[in-house]
Amino acid sequence: MSEQANDTMPIRKTVTVPVTPQRAFELFTARIGEWWPLATHSVGEDQATGVVFGEGIGGSIVESLADGTTSVWGTITGWDPPHGVVYTWHAGTPVTEATSVEVTFTPGEQGHTVVELVHSGWDSRPDGSAARAGYETGWNPVIKHYARFAAVSGLPARAM
Amino acid sequence: METYEAVLEALGDSTRRRIVDMLRRSGPSSVAELAARLPVSRPAVSQHLTVLRRSRLVTYEESGTRNVYRVDPTGMRDLRAWMDGFWQEALDTYAEAARKDAAQADQSSMAMRKGLPDE
Repeated sequence: MSEQANDTMPIRKTVTVPVTPQRAFELFTARIGEWWPLATHSVGEDQATGVVFGEGIGGSIVESLADGTTSVWGTITGWDPPHGVVYTWHAGTPVTEATSVEVTFTPGEQGHTVVELVHSGWDSRPDGSAARAGYETGWNPVIKHYARFAAVSGLPARAM
Repeated sequence: METYEAVLEALGDSTRRRIVDMLRRSGPSSVAELAARLPVSRPAVSQHLTVLRRSRLVTYEESGTRNVYRVDPTGMRDLRAWMDGFWQEALDTYAEAARKDAAQADQSSMAMRKGLPDE
């Protein structure tokens, strides 16, 4: 695989948690407000007051801010508790320019659950008639996502 | 400035995003080849390339009298590594919450057992 292909490959993250898939799913979605690191991982940073994960396809992930406004991070496109959830990820950008996050919950050993998160959609559009139109829009979601997070203070770059 | 910050600044400009896209799609290109496909002058393209080179999004080789530019994966890799860290941190706090949740569930089930009469 070429280095360049790595630029657009999905980011994959796995964590094992000592609860059942049902519980793990509920904690990730309905109870996101209890664990999401809002102070560092949000649009509003210290002005962020909460985040809510919708329920079912079409539901949204919404951050609320101290001034009463909200910021939609994504929309649920796949909902299959306790197996998995898929949602677009478009903090502050149009839905059409979103990347995609899929989280799956798989039974592991001793009643634990393996949670895998795959963030994909980094690829710009394929060559062809749409390629030129894709020059601008293809980059936008990626840049805007990064820019959102770049604005967050105290979030260090991690060396690989 | 960290590399990912330089990358963000470099990609904040639409012409520079187009240059990177052109190099990704069309492969190594000279300044003249890039300028021919962009609505900006050749010196302007050179300036953009300098910014992209500093943020390690492009690199170049001298080929005779001209420089041939191509994509340098370093810049995007650093940016992705940083995004990678974003999800890692989020999942770490999630796992911590799950551990607390499991511990609490254990405690309450023990409390319930203790509370049972004639056990």
